[in-house]
Amino acid sequence: MSSLDRKMDKILAREEAGQIKKRMKNRALRKMFANRLSVAGIIIFVVILFMCCAAPLFTPYDATKVDLRSILQPPSAEHILGTDKIGRDIWARILFGGRVSIAVGLGSALIATVLGVSLGTIAGYKGGWLDGIVMKVSEIMMAFPQMILVLILVTITGQSLWNLIFIFSLTGWPSMYRMARSQMLSLREQEYVQALKAFGIGGMRIAFKHILPNAIGPIFVNITLSTAMFILQEAALSFLGLGVPLEVATWGNILNVAQDLTILKQAWWIWLPTGIAVTLFVISINFIGDGLRDATDPSQIG
Amino acid sequence: MTNYVIRKILSLIPMMLVLSFLIYLGIELMPGDAVDFLIPPDALSTMSETQLNEMRESLGLNDPFMVRYVKWLGGVLHGDFGYSLQSGVPVATLMKNHLPATIELTVTALIFSSIFGILFGVISALKKGSILDQMLSVVGMIGVAIPQFLLGLICINAFALHLNLLPVGGRMASMDQNFFERLPYLIMPALVLGFSLTSGVMRYARGSMLDSMGKDYMKTARAKGIPEWRLNLLHGLRAALTPVVVLIGFRLPMLIGGAVVIEEVFQWPGIGALFVDSVRAQNTPLVMMIGFFSVLLVLISSIIVDIVTAALDPRIKLS
Repeated sequence: MSSLDRKMDKILAREEAGQIKKRMKNRALRKMFANRLSVAGIIIFVVILFMCCAAPLFTPYDATKVDLRSILQPPSAEHILGTDKIGRDIWARILFGGRVSIAVGLGSALIATVLGVSLGTIAGYKGGWLDGIVMKVSEIMMAFPQMILVLILVTITGQSLWNLIFIFSLTGWPSMYRMARSQMLSLREQEYVQALKAFGIGGMRIAFKHILPNAIGPIFVNITLSTAMFILQEAALSFLGLGVPLEVATWGNILNVAQDLTILKQAWWIWLPTGIAVTLFVISINFIGDGLRDATDPSQIG
Repeated sequence: MTNYVIRKILSLIPMMLVLSFLIYLGIELMPGDAVDFLIPPDALSTMSETQLNEMRESLGLNDPFMVRYVKWLGGVLHGDFGYSLQSGVPVATLMKNHLPATIELTVTALIFSSIFGILFGVISALKKGSILDQMLSVVGMIGVAIPQFLLGLICINAFALHLNLLPVGGRMASMDQNFFERLPYLIMPALVLGFSLTSGVMRYARGSMLDSMGKDYMKTARAKGIPEWRLNLLHGLRAALTPVVVLIGFRLPMLIGGAVVIEEVFQWPGIGALFVDSVRAQNTPLVMMIGFFSVLLVLISSIIVDIVTAALDPRIKLS
């Protein structure tokens, strides 16, 4: 990133000389928009997100509409990406399925973040027995390979869309907790915190309002990482037939039929475009995450 | 050193106790009555409530929870892991039958990803900014973003269904075949499983190699007239290896999670496929025991990583 830093310094120098106008106040955001890959990531992300949210604008078909007169049709003018075994339009399924897959991924990541960050902020700032207990719980959860823990919980709770979001949130909070907690531990003895205490400001107010904002960069990076991970896991679970129930269209559920070798060999239009959509979306999230990390990492601010 | 190792191992015990309790809780939470699973359905319908109660009493199902837990834990410590609800086969036997396949797969994937990850990582660090470096980083980005099962499907489609080079799945055509005859079955699943792992190791190896190339001792060595290739190979690579060893250790949970999916895609008869089957059949005892052992494996390997790092890095004092 050093070339990027140099570019940034040049821009800053020109700004100070009054040659160009300051466009954005936030340095991290500006740095992020100067990074080609993260801009590409944002564009792909927004395009896919918009197309999924506004799915009816892009397809006349419904994701669950069965049409037995046109089954397993290859791509044509009528069905851009063909149809599946019971005549459902694949393009429509990718768009509508994306809604659910993205909602599961992003939703679980956000819930896990709120849970983990608030626990980490409270427990990390207070310390003592509460911190000890939450730390032990997070250690135990992190000892499980993620996929195994998720499948164990699926066995216990049964399969449904809401259960899956619940399970992802439950397995996702420990890493967020660790991060928020370490931020609290490293900053709570700082002089500015002592000054705030001396002013008589309450503990939780200090923790959430004056220490937590320092962790905003890592928190956002972590959200992107978790979202990517949950989308991949939803796809894998649904592919195995253990994720979202099959009647709901999700990216993983579309791919589920590719377990059938004849479909895999002859009907590439069912699984390949869907697979590309998942991969592209996850790549875009990773680019955004990388860009955010580079832009907010304090060791990179020169 | 011995002290350090012993302390590390002892620190496992409380963790394992808590975990075993949770695992047992999971088995107990299983819907239904354990008696239903132990008696054939036709016998069950003819039994009266009092007979069923006697049955529960004799099986110890009416004991308090903690008593049952301690009994169960005692059994586990003696190698009695309970029975599969699907087949009635002891869990220990099932694990013993499926473990070799999983070890074969994961170890191959681990070796493959370590060699290629370090190799490509070091190459792209040495040729930083070149076309090769950029191509490798693109491959790496795709490697971490593509769902593993999708890569598996693409490979099956290309190499097995269209080119007919490799078998679609399974582990061997018939029993009693030596490793080299089984090799065609192993290639695809191991490469696919290793691929995303390779990307991670490659990124990391590149970073740590670049890091060590900028260090002062490299300049000193260069000033002493040591040839560039030797410098990179001996000093740079060695410093770059330590974090990579750690990374490989910490990737183990990912490897296990990946094996679960990949074994299912390639019909590989290992623990992962067994696990997915038992999740599908709500076979709680088997699911819980496999979960328990996967955690044990992760904890033990993290201790090994700690010890290896401590041994490799002279800055870490053990006493």
